[in-house]
Amino acid sequence: MSRITVENVTRRYGGTTAVDAVSLDVADGDFLVLLGPSGCGKSTLLRTIAGLVAPSEGRVLVDDRDVTDVPARGRDLAMVFQSYALYPHLTVARNIGFPLRARRLRRAEVRRRVGEVADALELSALLDRRPRELSGGQRQRVALGRALVRDPGAFLMDEPLSNLDAQLRTATRTEITELHRRLRRTFVYVTHDQVEAMTMATSVAVLNRGRLEQIGPPTEVYDRPASAFVAGFLGSPPMNLLAAEVIHRDGQLHAVAAGVNVPLGIAVPRRSPDDAAGEPARSVLLGIRPEHLRVTSSAAAMTAATDATAAEAAASASGSDGPVTALRGVVRTVENLGSEEIAYCVVGDGEVSVRARRPAGFAVGDAVALAVDPGQTHLFDRESGRRLVWRPDPHPAVPSARVPVAT
Amino acid sequence: MFVEITAPTALPAPASPPDAGAGVSPGGPRADSARSGRGRSRRSPRQLVRLLGRGVVPYLYLAPALGMLGVWTYRPLAETVNYSFFSWNLSPDSPATPQGWHNYHRLLTVPEVGGAVWRTFLMIAGLLPFTIIVPVVVGLLTAEVRGRARTVYQALIFAPVLVAPVASAAVWQWMLFPENGVVDRITGLSTNWLHEKTPALLSITGIAGWHLLGFAVLVVAAGLASINGDYAEAASVDGASRWQSIRWLTLPLLSPTLVFLLLTTVLLAGQWTFPLIDTLTQGGPVNATTNVYYLLWEYGFQSFDAGFASAAGVVFFLGFGVVAGVLVRLSDRLTFHDN
Repeated sequence: MSRITVENVTRRYGGTTAVDAVSLDVADGDFLVLLGPSGCGKSTLLRTIAGLVAPSEGRVLVDDRDVTDVPARGRDLAMVFQSYALYPHLTVARNIGFPLRARRLRRAEVRRRVGEVADALELSALLDRRPRELSGGQRQRVALGRALVRDPGAFLMDEPLSNLDAQLRTATRTEITELHRRLRRTFVYVTHDQVEAMTMATSVAVLNRGRLEQIGPPTEVYDRPASAFVAGFLGSPPMNLLAAEVIHRDGQLHAVAAGVNVPLGIAVPRRSPDDAAGEPARSVLLGIRPEHLRVTSSAAAMTAATDATAAEAAASASGSDGPVTALRGVVRTVENLGSEEIAYCVVGDGEVSVRARRPAGFAVGDAVALAVDPGQTHLFDRESGRRLVWRPDPHPAVPSARVPVAT
Repeated sequence: MFVEITAPTALPAPASPPDAGAGVSPGGPRADSARSGRGRSRRSPRQLVRLLGRGVVPYLYLAPALGMLGVWTYRPLAETVNYSFFSWNLSPDSPATPQGWHNYHRLLTVPEVGGAVWRTFLMIAGLLPFTIIVPVVVGLLTAEVRGRARTVYQALIFAPVLVAPVASAAVWQWMLFPENGVVDRITGLSTNWLHEKTPALLSITGIAGWHLLGFAVLVVAAGLASINGDYAEAASVDGASRWQSIRWLTLPLLSPTLVFLLLTTVLLAGQWTFPLIDTLTQGGPVNATTNVYYLLWEYGFQSFDAGFASAAGVVFFLGFGVVAGVLVRLSDRLTFHDN
């Protein structure tokens, strides 16, 4: 049982900063997934927790004990390596028993516990084999067994599934989740695979260029991404991000760009006639998940009306009860995923992907009108990339506070 | 009723065959084999030459190397075996007289041979600390040295390998000079290093070891570098101390390298010590530094007993061949391919 706290950890290699002032708190029994593209520092962070890499700055605590200067063997953490790092000259039994042997347990005791773990992982028949005589999945289980056998406070896993084929990966994913549920131990798991992150984690930490972008439950990270990076990293295809301006129109805020006019569902009462005119438009990134876009009209109904003015006209023409056309574009390519299809549409000078159940009837070259529920739009600052949330103005007298604030 | 959909078994015939497909029906394999059969019967002389060339070319590439091996290794070996059954004094004027197994019989009865074999064994044993123990210790201690510092220290430790044995023998002779030599002055002893029996053997072994140390350190460094760093990291996470990690992981994984060094030491000790013996002691005092190679050379080129020297050469060749075979098999068994 271990709680792991990472305080302001920075790790530099020469001039490059692999991990940049990351702070994390992994509660006891949590399954934290460190997610990010390759080179984002997630492995370095894990190795810092394991004690294989010393942080340049900051502290690592296990159960509130500062272990920054404690070598790996003193931390009571088990690690599964991406390469599995099975000792090639030792049999499966000796590999699994290695941590116990290092702790000078009695031979009989080692044999008993290795037997238990091997039973649980269905490795009993393979105990006398050497790693090179095992398949990829078996090696992975031996690596897991070596971590399990000593009953550590926490498990650290560095992309343990990346060397398995797709089917085995799905099966092993379920096994590890099951293992976490059964053991109630703390897991810290590094992956670049968002499916692993979404399915296994109780909490996901998204890293980008050594910095922590967001940490939260998978649903929150997916539904309310804290930055444009997180939005653009999660989802397949990821969230559509369009450069747009937030403007004030008819007492409502709208995000507009070429081919885009999305009502944001934020009512702003007009206080004086020249109030709206005086307020500058704010540059944002508008984010919409592909699955939240709905096709509102067939190709015939909208004849070549793909510019912003036409969209505005359509938006103002339709009532609040019907779906409001928010984007207009032309289908460029269509991907068939079996259960769903994805249409990539050119909207203005950008591209928007739309996900719909098959058969959705997309055809290349079609003009499409798309609608989105205002509650399913996301706004990000165009410079910082951070998420913008609307906070009703507490002081009506100060107009500058009416713009969305970055979080 | 239901009709089962059959799995695609045969490839459909290509829509437009690239060459003269007039007679090809969409029959698939049968049509293909018919076509290739026709091609075989119509093979032009030019194609035959090309086919022949394809078979010969690899052997042409191999020929220089094979030729050298034949001329410089296997022909002398065959001649040595041949001479071992003759009595000959190396003089072109005197004929070689057949002796049968007599030379081999002499070899087993002459008392010097047993002593030389024993001293060869002592020299090999004395070299092992220089070629295995010290390099492993140095390798483990300097594994953390990286970059330019590593290059510099490896260059320094490798330097003796590049010094010609005869040149170093001259320097060592001077340093080992009794009473006034550096070694005696530093140790405070009055040992006559090259002219007392045990010190002479130690000196020859020590100087050869000094020559070989750099080579062995480089080999061990390469062996250590080839061990995946993940193992040491996994071991440290698994709770192993540095010593446990060395004993249980590094040394077993390094064992093929160590067997290679053992093999080199056993097989090449004679060659490395020979110039030193010849320059410093000429096998003396009282044969105290005569090993099998020096003995062999003495028989051949001091006593001009070519037949006897050849017989000794053949026996030593076979003996070392057996040792090498055993060590190579050991090395194979110790090698663990990790993938």
